[in-house]
Amino acid sequence: MSEKLLEIKDLHAGVEDKEILKGLSLSIGKGEVHVILGPNGSGKSTLMNVIMGHPKYQVTGGTMLFEGEDMTPLKTYDRARKGLFLSFQTPEEIPGITLENMIRTSMQAVTGKKSKILPFRKQLRATMEELKMKPEYADRYLNVGFSGGEKKRAEILQLLMLNPKLALLDETDSGLDVDAVKIVSEGVAKFHNENNSCVIITHNARILDKLKVDYVHVLMNGEIVEEGGPELVDEISRRGFTHIQSEQEK
Amino acid sequence: MAKPAVEEEIFSAIPMRTWRWLGVNEVRVPEQVGAKLQQTKLSVAENQEDTVVYVNRKGGAQEVAVDVAAGARMHLVNVQLAPTDEAYTSRVTARVGKGGAFSYTVVEAGASHTASELTVNLDGDESKADVWGLYFGDGARKIDLNYIIRQRGRKTDANMQVRGALLGQSEKIFRGTLDFLEGTSGSVGRENEEVMMLSDHARNRSVPIMLSHEDDVDGHHAVSVGRMDENKLFYLMNRGLDLAEAQRLVVKASFNPVLDRIPDDALKEEIQAFLKGRLKN
Amino acid sequence: MAEKKKTYVEDIERTLYDIRNEDHSIYKTEQGLSEEVVLDISKRKHDPDWMRDFRLKSLEIYNKLPMPSWGPDLSDLHMDEITAYVQPDAKMTGNWKDVPTDIKDTFDRLGIPEAEKKSLAGVGAQYDSEIVYHSLQKNMADKGVIYTDMETAIREHEDIVKEYFMTLVPPKDHKFAALHGAVWSGGSFVYVPEGVQVDIPLQSYFRLNAAGAGQFEHTLIIVEPGASLHFIEGCSAPKYNVTNLHAGCVELFVKEGARLRYSTIENWSRNMMNLNTKRALVEKDGIMEWVSGSFGSHVSCLYPCTILHGEGSRCEFTGVTFASSGQDLDTGASVIHAAPHTSANINTRTISKAGGKATYRSAVKVTKNAPYAKCSVNCESLMLDNASRSDTLPTMDIEGDEADIGHEAKIGRISDEAFYYLTSRGIEENEARAMIVRGFVEPIAKELPLEYAVEMNNLVNIELDGTMG
Repeated sequence: MSEKLLEIKDLHAGVEDKEILKGLSLSIGKGEVHVILGPNGSGKSTLMNVIMGHPKYQVTGGTMLFEGEDMTPLKTYDRARKGLFLSFQTPEEIPGITLENMIRTSMQAVTGKKSKILPFRKQLRATMEELKMKPEYADRYLNVGFSGGEKKRAEILQLLMLNPKLALLDETDSGLDVDAVKIVSEGVAKFHNENNSCVIITHNARILDKLKVDYVHVLMNGEIVEEGGPELVDEISRRGFTHIQSEQEK
Repeated sequence: MAKPAVEEEIFSAIPMRTWRWLGVNEVRVPEQVGAKLQQTKLSVAENQEDTVVYVNRKGGAQEVAVDVAAGARMHLVNVQLAPTDEAYTSRVTARVGKGGAFSYTVVEAGASHTASELTVNLDGDESKADVWGLYFGDGARKIDLNYIIRQRGRKTDANMQVRGALLGQSEKIFRGTLDFLEGTSGSVGRENEEVMMLSDHARNRSVPIMLSHEDDVDGHHAVSVGRMDENKLFYLMNRGLDLAEAQRLVVKASFNPVLDRIPDDALKEEIQAFLKGRLKN
Repeated sequence: MAEKKKTYVEDIERTLYDIRNEDHSIYKTEQGLSEEVVLDISKRKHDPDWMRDFRLKSLEIYNKLPMPSWGPDLSDLHMDEITAYVQPDAKMTGNWKDVPTDIKDTFDRLGIPEAEKKSLAGVGAQYDSEIVYHSLQKNMADKGVIYTDMETAIREHEDIVKEYFMTLVPPKDHKFAALHGAVWSGGSFVYVPEGVQVDIPLQSYFRLNAAGAGQFEHTLIIVEPGASLHFIEGCSAPKYNVTNLHAGCVELFVKEGARLRYSTIENWSRNMMNLNTKRALVEKDGIMEWVSGSFGSHVSCLYPCTILHGEGSRCEFTGVTFASSGQDLDTGASVIHAAPHTSANINTRTISKAGGKATYRSAVKVTKNAPYAKCSVNCESLMLDNASRSDTLPTMDIEGDEADIGHEAKIGRISDEAFYYLTSRGIEENEARAMIVRGFVEPIAKELPLEYAVEMNNLVNIELDGTMG
């Protein structure tokens, strides 16, 4: 077993009085790719947001360790600075802040170093080109007027620029056409190496084409109900979740 | 209950005044409003549901006070088809308790001069107001409307949708206020008015007001005033309709979301026939 | 459930503006307003007879007109305690060296002589009731451009001034227009001859130093057919604990095919009643652009009005208002479409915080003579806490069936989701909020002259967040 990056044990969390995650455990090692499958409303996005520290969610029990350190008291920005990154399912539109300004500000925040403008621009342009993003998008307001595909590419652009230790990808492929999924999937593959890890929520096996998946977890009703290797992805895409559900009820 | 409206010269006022030259600060009492005042109190008990339909085929003054208890739902339909030589006033006040919902569907289609006030107090947490209004002006009619929704409880929801068409030398003022009081955190409010101007001599005044004492709200208002969408008309005329027919159809399409809320089909048809007849002239 | 976070934005850094000079004025009228005071001003300014009579007539109108029946509370304003005219110990000059040291230092701190060297074609500087400095680049003067103080304009271009002065904002317009007509002093006069393009901006800066004084400068700009001009107006004052009054008047005449951009950054101290009247008359195919930033004053009533008088004339209004503790800023715009095919865009942002009150008020009127008029209004309000107020009160008055008018407004707070998104990228919480607030005003900031845009960004410095701790 490789070195532990994220270790979640018996996690309980929810919104207001409603518990959504009901004793979930998950362990991510360095260099691993994990896929989380589950029907709508099973708590997948909640899990991502709880890991990232969304103020809307309250953790009511369990532990979350990142590189052995308790994450629960950390604010969202501190978690990002420790090396966590979330690619949002529906990225926010923020008027008045350009994509370039946003990325540069985050890079400085995450690295704690002033980035020089020229090398930064060069790296940004090159990365945008790889993602087939038009350079003028750098000067546009963050996600404002972007199509679904452009928003997701902007997320992967940030992933590549910020280069975190752990990437949480929440349905980064949803709503994209085949070509866009390919670009996004190549972007994730380019990011991934033996020193970082990915947790991917998806409904679509295609984003995994370029990646070697290590573990697959099936999340239902706030708990992990089944775990296995990459073969589980095929099985679910063939048979859906219902058979697991019925087995659960036995 | 307050003094009968007909004794006051000013019938209703906007919650915050603006330039006098615009002439929108007050709704005046129409001349020749008969002394006959109809006062009604309506209430729905906790967790109950009720629908009440008023049809006013004569001029005069109407006052309705509505109380919607916690968890209750009330749909009030108020249709005014008064003869074009009679004046009419209407004052509707509603209070909505926790988790209650007040729906209001109002049609102001008749009378020589209409003055209408609506005040909804969303006092309870998670209370809702859903107001849909329609007005229609032709000839020398005057329509003077003042609708106010006050959001006091937490997580309240206000929706005000108004559609209208103005023909002839008609004049209309619509004031619509969303008032977010301090403490109404987590509340949302939407207000939208669409006015179709169908005559060179018609005059429209719109005053969409939003007042906020609370930062944790999401308020939005929009107004569009103007001529009919030429593309729509062109499309319909391509399908064989003449200009007047096409215009009638566009007006009808705009009114339908309001009319569709009227639960009584016979009444709905009566209003449609009433409007159709007026549009033809 | 956890309490929602509240945001606190630190007060505008005002030190720069707050440095007071000792009052070295050489003459002041008596406090309050009377025929004697008005005649005294008129005499000291060597008014021609018509102007003296105009002042007296205005005073008469002032005494008859009621206070406004709407808008902010003006009860802190006691006219009998206001000194209408304060003459600084300085003669109007075209050389900074000749400006008394304390006055020159003030304008140095405000960066005026520096900006003049770098980016302006001409500068006017008013201190209390009189202009103390005026300059215009020679090449502009050679093209016939006139840029001078109003008093000189009356002496040297009396016919032009007489033709236009207070015709667009007549004294009977409202009580403070009448007051202005009676006691006006200082201000700038700009005349751009036909076809002349003034491609570098002119700037007038108005500084009120004397406590309890009123400033009533008059700005008159005439841009002849086919000509263009960018005019920048700045204002500030140090803070006193007595009420100061500003009731300036701006009249802009944009002739056929001409273009005028009028940018204002107003940063009065919070004892100022700012009751300013600005109006533009735009002829055929003319373009009027307003950029208006309101940050200071205790009370402001400011609604630049554009009359689209000629066919095809246009107006763009871009405004930002930032109301903080102790401020009641009632701002907006009005547009009157009085000719066919006229168009207007109004785009505003308001921010209120720490108990400040911001009101957006507007009027769009389309007369019968204005078929095919087009107007689109967009106003957004951001509230940073629930101690503050934000109100939106627009009115549209449309006659005829050929207009196309759209209005949209939003009120709300910093979006929780946008805040979370930025912090999830490692951006610290206060910086994330500051970024969102700056982003909110960005569409306006990018219209401002650069140094003002930088200044405005500095104003939006988020200090700390409260209740979570």
